[in-house]
Amino acid sequence: MSWKVCFLVAILLLLIVPLARAESGQALIENSASFDGKTVTFTGEVIGVLMRDNYAWVNILDNEVAIGVWCSAEDARKVTVIGDYRHGGDTVEAIGTFRMADPEQGGDLDIRADNFTVVAVGQELSRSPSLPLVTFSVVLMIVAIFVAIFLRHIRKEKERIVPWPFH
Amino acid sequence: MIPALTREDLKIIGYNLSRISYLMGGILLLPIIVAVIYREIDTIPFFLIGASLAFILGSLLNHFLETKKEMELKHAVVMVAVGWLLAPVLASIPIWLSNATASYLHASFESLSGFTGTGLTVATDIDHLSHSINFLRHFLQFVGDGIGIIVVSLSILGKTKISSVLAFKGEAKELGIRPSIVRTSRIIIGIAITFLIVGTILFAAAGIKEGLNPGTAIFDGLNHSMTGYATGGFSTRSQNLLFYHSVWVEVAAIVTMIIGALNFNLHYAILGGKRKEILKNIEVRILFFSLLALGFLVSANLIFSNLYTSPDSLFRKGIFHVISGQTTTGFQTAPPQHFMLLWPAFSMIVISIAMILGGCANSTSGGIKMVRIGILFKSIVREVRQTLLPRSAVVRGTFHNIEDTLITDTMIKGAAVIAMGYIVLFTFGTMITVAHGYSVESSMFETSSALGNVGLSSGITSPSMPFVVEVTYMFLMWAGKLEIIAVLVLMGFIILGLRKGIKK
Repeated sequence: MSWKVCFLVAILLLLIVPLARAESGQALIENSASFDGKTVTFTGEVIGVLMRDNYAWVNILDNEVAIGVWCSAEDARKVTVIGDYRHGGDTVEAIGTFRMADPEQGGDLDIRADNFTVVAVGQELSRSPSLPLVTFSVVLMIVAIFVAIFLRHIRKEKERIVPWPFH
Repeated sequence: MIPALTREDLKIIGYNLSRISYLMGGILLLPIIVAVIYREIDTIPFFLIGASLAFILGSLLNHFLETKKEMELKHAVVMVAVGWLLAPVLASIPIWLSNATASYLHASFESLSGFTGTGLTVATDIDHLSHSINFLRHFLQFVGDGIGIIVVSLSILGKTKISSVLAFKGEAKELGIRPSIVRTSRIIIGIAITFLIVGTILFAAAGIKEGLNPGTAIFDGLNHSMTGYATGGFSTRSQNLLFYHSVWVEVAAIVTMIIGALNFNLHYAILGGKRKEILKNIEVRILFFSLLALGFLVSANLIFSNLYTSPDSLFRKGIFHVISGQTTTGFQTAPPQHFMLLWPAFSMIVISIAMILGGCANSTSGGIKMVRIGILFKSIVREVRQTLLPRSAVVRGTFHNIEDTLITDTMIKGAAVIAMGYIVLFTFGTMITVAHGYSVESSMFETSSALGNVGLSSGITSPSMPFVVEVTYMFLMWAGKLEIIAVLVLMGFIILGLRKGIKK
């Protein structure tokens, strides 16, 4: 009997694993019609949180494609770092129903999250200035000022010289 | 016979381009203020390098091509056409250095799209762009398309009034607000700043109401107000306005888009107390009739396709995109791929038509323009009436655009030539795009968007778009902004130089 149990477990695992696999943002957008109304798992970086009373919109970015996740305000408060120029936002996983044109949200493409988890906390990104670039920019600005003053000086000198034979 | 070009012709053009170069240098220094406010010190060298190169180029052109000879119409038209290429080339330097785009070609595309008020974007990772670079992208749309910096640079920095009058003609804008060109330019800037403040307040208030923190709401509001008034369509978010999931933000966008699409003369008349003008003006009438008719067609089509069924989704997706398309703004509340993959072909074609029709003349919008559509329509009615009436009868057509104007054959010819030019370029762009494997309706949509300086995208415009399509769209954005004629004059100028040479 044990091999039958093993077989059943294997079948169950095969069914469960694809359900748990996170869909990419690109796949969800490009195959919206086939995912519409289905439960999906979406993982990515938080790039925006907009609180709306007891609910919130959390915009999640996955490889250049961002999708709005509609979740409870309590879930949204779990987000500590929002991605921007200086920060890599929290990585979150949202499991919920995908809607390609949610009639309750003015036709927006969204995921209505049943489960929302912060997988990894975001961090500050290093944005230090490049020293060669700083030096080059300062030198170039000095050159620009010098060229402007020099050419202006030449023009003024030219204007001062009265052409022959009226000298 | 057309006389051969002389060195003096080239000097006049080059000398006037020096002012555009100086002004671009100044413009590229402004984002440094934003960089300091947001402590993005690492981005400052990008702007310093761009500004320095612009100042050096300006100084060299100014010194070596200095001339006291007065500008003629041909110089003005060629200067404006070249100026619309030079300014984006200079502005693309900081964009490229900041790695906001994957290559210099993409940076030029982004800059040209900004400057012409188009709004198609190839920027990568917009959500992680610095505030200063994002500000530059939006500011380019405001000064390029919203204020019309090429003309303003001449009227304010220029030594002679005639040069700026001619430059207005080169950019296909007619004068009419005030007799003095300097005063006209000041009024245009004044109107733009007034609506910029109004738009910023609207967007910021909507953003705060919908859950953004005040700092972000004001920054996003300022940028969207700049691009909304300029009917540009760039956004600080990769999702564009879909990021906010908010009807209030979309209403703020509609208000700024429509304000931007109306004639400067109309703004001036209304602000001066002539409020009834808005009901009598031919352009306003056609624009609102067109928005209603095309909005109805798209909404009906979307209902039958079962994509958007609720009334609010029809407004927020159907009507919104028609307004965004016809005002040539390009704000988007649906993912670009949805247009290509989910939207019915009929709606795509209707929005493409809206994008080609465009907004009002002497506004920030692109396209053929409402006044020309009105003239062409009235001329057809006139022809039909003339045929039905006795031979001795003389039929005259008039229209009201600030003042009553008699339709002349010259007006009809001018409108027809420009409309024909748009149709030819639209066909050319669509064929090029289709040849790269895209569907006909997506190709029509994207081509109309580039040619009409709109910015709505069906997903064709992206960092991975084919090289030929990218260059074609750059040409279309440039030609569309100049309303084609200036491009043809520039081509004629080059051919003339090649055939007859350049005399001393």
